[in-house]
Amino acid sequence: MDLSDLLVIDAVLPRLKSANKKQALQEMAAKAAALTSRDERDIFETLMQREKLGSTGVGHGVAIPHGKLAGLDRLVGVFALLDRPIDFDSLDGEPVDVMFLLLAPESAGADHLKALARIARVLRDDETAAKLRAADDAAAMYTLLTENVRSDAA
Amino acid sequence: MHQIAVANLVLALGATLILLGILSSLLASRFGTPLLLVFLVVGMLAGVDGPGGIEFSNYRLTYLIGSCALAIILFDGGLRTRLAETREALGPSLTLATAGVAVTAILIGTFGYLVLGYDLIEGLLLGSIVASTDAAAVFFLLKTGGLQLRPRIGSTLEIESGSNDPVAVFLTIALTELAIAHSAPGFGTLTSLARQAILGGAMGVAGGALATVALNRLTLPGGLHPLFVIALTVSVFGATSYLDGSGFLAVYVAGLVVGNSSVRAYPAISKFLESATWLCQIVMFLILGLLVTPSKLIEYAPEGLAIALFLMVIGRPAAVWVCLKPFGFTPPEINFVSWVGLRGAVSIFLATVPTLAGVPNAPMYFNVAFFVVLISLLVQGWTIAPAARFFGMALKRLATSARRVEIDLPGQTDNEMVGYPVKPDSYAALRPASLPAWLKPVLVVRDGAVKNAAEAGQIKAGDYAYFISPQDRVNRLDRLFAPLPAEALAAAKRTAFGEFAVAPDASLSDLATFYEMQVPANLAGLTVAEAFSARHGNRLHAGSRLTLAAYAELVARVVEDGHLIKASLRLEDVVDLSMRAPQLPPPTLVRRLYDRLRLRLSAQGKPAEPSK
Repeated sequence: MDLSDLLVIDAVLPRLKSANKKQALQEMAAKAAALTSRDERDIFETLMQREKLGSTGVGHGVAIPHGKLAGLDRLVGVFALLDRPIDFDSLDGEPVDVMFLLLAPESAGADHLKALARIARVLRDDETAAKLRAADDAAAMYTLLTENVRSDAA
Repeated sequence: MHQIAVANLVLALGATLILLGILSSLLASRFGTPLLLVFLVVGMLAGVDGPGGIEFSNYRLTYLIGSCALAIILFDGGLRTRLAETREALGPSLTLATAGVAVTAILIGTFGYLVLGYDLIEGLLLGSIVASTDAAAVFFLLKTGGLQLRPRIGSTLEIESGSNDPVAVFLTIALTELAIAHSAPGFGTLTSLARQAILGGAMGVAGGALATVALNRLTLPGGLHPLFVIALTVSVFGATSYLDGSGFLAVYVAGLVVGNSSVRAYPAISKFLESATWLCQIVMFLILGLLVTPSKLIEYAPEGLAIALFLMVIGRPAAVWVCLKPFGFTPPEINFVSWVGLRGAVSIFLATVPTLAGVPNAPMYFNVAFFVVLISLLVQGWTIAPAARFFGMALKRLATSARRVEIDLPGQTDNEMVGYPVKPDSYAALRPASLPAWLKPVLVVRDGAVKNAAEAGQIKAGDYAYFISPQDRVNRLDRLFAPLPAEALAAAKRTAFGEFAVAPDASLSDLATFYEMQVPANLAGLTVAEAFSARHGNRLHAGSRLTLAAYAELVARVVEDGHLIKASLRLEDVVDLSMRAPQLPPPTLVRRLYDRLRLRLSAQGKPAEPSK
């Protein structure tokens, strides 16, 4: 199970500089806007709407901000590794430096959730996370995120 | 000169006995012997038939020392009872403490009357003497047994044993009067009981309030707070008893009042009382052990054994059954509560009353009661832990309490400072970020260096951490700092990954719409916090769940004072779902088989897809 169907190499942002959650989400929204030719503001608003329900920080320094965008025709992911961890109000209180943004079509239904679960699965692996944090460039990160290494015994 | 020599000898002997008692506790804890039994035996060995050979038959002195000791023990029992934390045990335990005592006394009385040939008043008097369970024995054995009981059971037993002595004392004194007068119980008995109860309760509330106000208003030199409280306790006891009220009830209630209000110097008082209670226990048991004449005791062995067995096997279980069945206790729970009906010093102490009052056949009460207490401590006391496991009442862990240091903050009563060693497997070490917000870190001793909260950052295992905490919440902290039981440890260590935080004030419908889930009709329009309280009420605790779909549930993560502070959304099960077809309603068996079949077929159609 890999993430190649929702992530392109151009959507990987290595060493993203941002001071806080809002700024990080803005940067990633801008990238998503470029990939989908949608309005950057719309995307950012969508993400912030979701954050209002509760932080998408899932622990271990990882956040998976997500939202649904009307008119989108496919699942779109953006990955970012921050140059330094930012406060994200996660459940475990740890600051976040690994972010995976997921945008889904309005009617994505279970596909949306399945994609979220897949992302969580890849990022929950401590080894993968460590390698991601150590990777130098977008290509290395993309390979890590899309290679199908683990046989997921779970 | 002779007088002085005698006084010195009494001091030397008395203190040596206490020393022997304290030292024998080392031996007792090694063998799991009920410690109180050891004190009693030390007293007996020192007494007239033992190697000590001390002749002691001063019932008046015994009564004096005994009531003083008991007053302090009961006050301490009240002081440690947190009404707010034990609300759900209050009904059952108070029923046991009142009706339960009466039923037990009546059953024993009837048994004595029918089987052992006592007259009815005699039987009832004996029944009242042995009707109450002993707070000291129950508290102590539950604590030293390393038992962690289910909260409702533990609280019920503790409150019962702390509050049933006054009732037994009422009954004993009322029946003693009847036994002397040879009259039948009548209206006078009832009014006297009522007077005892009302006066006792009122004096207790007044005494407790007085103690609270005095402690908070008067600035006493440091070490005098605990002594002030103890003196006040004993005087409340004496004054109430003098006015024909129940002094025992009064001191218990006074303890409740003081323990449940914020009081200056509470840590010092509580610590001092802990020692004082020990001393009282030791002295009381030693004296009672001295007072009994073992060679005489043997004469009463058959009766004593019969009453003890009846009490353990029929009397207590029947009374407990009658009292607890209406509260929905299960049979194993009832059986266990019955088995922990330990008798103790109060019963022996009450058994001196007939002698003091000059009731005919007085030695019978004392010796039989003594026998009953001995058997109860031996048989029940020694088997509490196995019984708890047998009836499934013990939580599957040993109580490893956190070592708390309390420091009184002079000049104010609402907060105190507490210190804890941070153990590696404690909640505090595993989830330092999830400690309650009302717990304010002050300083941390780490690797021998003292750091303030800002320098130290998050606490770590191995730290010694000090906090300011609201006084009424201090008791809840222990479990955050005690090592977690195995299953909780696994849960806490298991990565919380895959859970999204959910704001308590988020709308449940918004959340459900976002993930295309169904909100149960009765929860529509509520916020997350409201939905949790609608579903779980005041039983809401960290870990409470709210299922929204087969693959999604909300989990309460932090709950304070019954209010949801943090919650999370678990989508983890969706991981499994991602291998199934995208149907979302709870999969029935048929649906699951169908899905699996479909998955197989589609996998065969697309051989390139990695199969898992």
